[in-house]
Amino acid sequence: MPRTPHVRTPHVRAAHHLRTVPHALRPLLNWRSLRWKIAALVAVASCAVALAIGLLVHHSTLERSLHEDRERALTALTAAVADHRRTGTQASVTPLAELPDALARQVTATGRGTLYDDSDPTVPWEWAATRVDGQVLAVRVDAGTDLRSRQALDRHMRLASLAALAVVVPLAALAAELPNRRLRRVAGTARRIAAGDLEARTRAGGPGGDEITEIAATVDSMADSLRDRLRSEQRFTADVAHELRTPLMGLVTAAELLPESEPTELVRDRVRVLRALVEDLLEISRLDAGAEHSEPRPVALAEAVAESLDRAGLTARLSVTGAPVAETDPRRLDRIVANLVGNAHRHGGAPVDVTVGATRIEVRDHGPGFPAQLLARGPQRFFTGASERGGGHGLGLTIALGQAQVIGATLTFANAPDGGARAVLHLPPAGAGRAADGPGRAQPGPGQDHGAPGDGRTGRGARTGGGARTGRGARTGGGGGRH
Amino acid sequence: MPGENPPAPVSLLLVEDDEVIRRTVAMALERYGYRVSVAADGLTGLELFRELKPDLLLLDVMLPHLDGIGLCRRIRESALEPILMMSARGDALDVVSGLEAGADDYVVKPVDTSVLVARIRSLLRRATFAPQAERGRADTGRAAGNGAGQGTLGPYAPPPDSDRLVFGDLTVDTAGLDVFRAGTRVALTPTELRLLLEFAAHPGVVLDRQTLLRNVWDYGWDGDSRVVDLCVQRLRRKIGAERIETVRGFGYKLRR
Repeated sequence: MPRTPHVRTPHVRAAHHLRTVPHALRPLLNWRSLRWKIAALVAVASCAVALAIGLLVHHSTLERSLHEDRERALTALTAAVADHRRTGTQASVTPLAELPDALARQVTATGRGTLYDDSDPTVPWEWAATRVDGQVLAVRVDAGTDLRSRQALDRHMRLASLAALAVVVPLAALAAELPNRRLRRVAGTARRIAAGDLEARTRAGGPGGDEITEIAATVDSMADSLRDRLRSEQRFTADVAHELRTPLMGLVTAAELLPESEPTELVRDRVRVLRALVEDLLEISRLDAGAEHSEPRPVALAEAVAESLDRAGLTARLSVTGAPVAETDPRRLDRIVANLVGNAHRHGGAPVDVTVGATRIEVRDHGPGFPAQLLARGPQRFFTGASERGGGHGLGLTIALGQAQVIGATLTFANAPDGGARAVLHLPPAGAGRAADGPGRAQPGPGQDHGAPGDGRTGRGARTGGGARTGRGARTGGGGGRH
Repeated sequence: MPGENPPAPVSLLLVEDDEVIRRTVAMALERYGYRVSVAADGLTGLELFRELKPDLLLLDVMLPHLDGIGLCRRIRESALEPILMMSARGDALDVVSGLEAGADDYVVKPVDTSVLVARIRSLLRRATFAPQAERGRADTGRAAGNGAGQGTLGPYAPPPDSDRLVFGDLTVDTAGLDVFRAGTRVALTPTELRLLLEFAAHPGVVLDRQTLLRNVWDYGWDGDSRVVDLCVQRLRRKIGAERIETVRGFGYKLRR
């Protein structure tokens, strides 16, 4: 029989903590979103550019104004020297000791020198000094105007940078909405595919696009191959059904036509067994191929269980608390109950107790209990635990588990402390059946009441063994929310 | 049980390509007193249907030459006899297309003879309950010209008021079991008529699929709601889509 990979398990955890926020605001409030990363990147880049340009401008303006100040000081010195020579005025004669140290050293060393003196930052001076006839002539000009205009320039550049940031960062955040929207669409499509919508496509792929186009195209082609694969499995299942049922139908009808006799009874009994086996196998095959769909409606659980036992000709002690009504698919519920109780009779021991609660159905027998392997790995096809556990073909529990998945229920297998096997079916809480139709809706996992000590394993959505212990009913679960 | 012979043998036409099924089912049904004719492929089936005018058709879906769905559609162009499909695949493709093509019900193989007979009886009950089927057949020639089973069957003769239910342009004569839309007789299959009468008995009341399956198709708990959905679809095509309203999640209701 074809097996289906675990393809419908949804993962939407990332968005869970944002559930309480109104939908429209959600993307804005997620500080880890690409939008804010892009905005931060743009802000950093703009700051870096502004800083580089600012430094460059600041530096070249400083150079130029220092050069101009020096020129002015030298012009003034030349004028003072000429004045001194012509008139002998002592106005510019300055004792070396009164000059700033750096200038004095220059004059001593080379006979002349200039100095930008900003020892008082508010009133900077540009000095020029030279030695004339053994005397030191020195002049200084005010460099404050240049300083102040440079400061004003710096201030303007800072303001302009801030203004540019104030415009660019929101713009970047807004512009990031475009790729964000495309990414969200890809994610949403992937989620719908995961929830079982095999026709969901991004339709955003195409030649010559960016990386988002590429991932969209990849998601689409993945969905295509997934759909083709599921389709071919479903087709295969249907074809197998046809091939098996056609001769079986002839056999069933022919066996009915046989004259009554002991051999006839034997033949009819074997035909019944063969028919049940074929139907079980086809049912598993359909479950695997995802061809089963739940048809929920309000079901009175106690009555449904009692009728189910009647139909299957099984006896059990039925105890009911209250008058529980659940929104579920009665035909699938019937399959689950009949298989669980049938299994309890075949492999367990009488009496079989069936307890029905609000959303909970427990089937308990008084036999040797479930084998350790079943508790550890879930039901396995054609595995009945031990060779002496004759009868049956080990498909019943697999079917019960698969059908539980289809109706979004949890099925747990455990052993009671005082012996006997215990299978507990937890139906989804009222209203969850409908809510679960939409993908992305999380339901808190039910099943706090697993109670049994020992090896209780939650079989929710665990595909018939394979080691998955806690999974979620993939089809109806939709919303992820793993335990 | 064998021996319960109906007074006048009911004639069935079984179209089935698997020889063993064809022979065993025919034998089994004959034990129940039905007169069974058989055909091994769709085209032969169509010819036999026209020639023998059976009371009910049992069609396999997968048939050579003309498949069960195509055959069903061809027959429904001119006739209203109950059709029971037998599908071995049992998947939506078979079931839905069969019902869309005009089948009244379906069974999935393998089926016990007792179950098959129960389905056949339910269909025949609807057919005898609805004498319109007889008239539909009598007027086959004329209805065929109109196609899609929406034949105009004779002039409109207003029934007495007491038996007339009027819903907009739709008039249901509950005594004569006739249905008229805007003065024109509407040709309904027995199942469609039975369904419409069920609605007409509870105008404005939402009827859920389970109730309809129980009252119209005689299903216990295990009916397939698609049978209802598709029959409602066919009925809507004939009496006007707006007449039957879908109440999402609950069922259908007839608009007064």
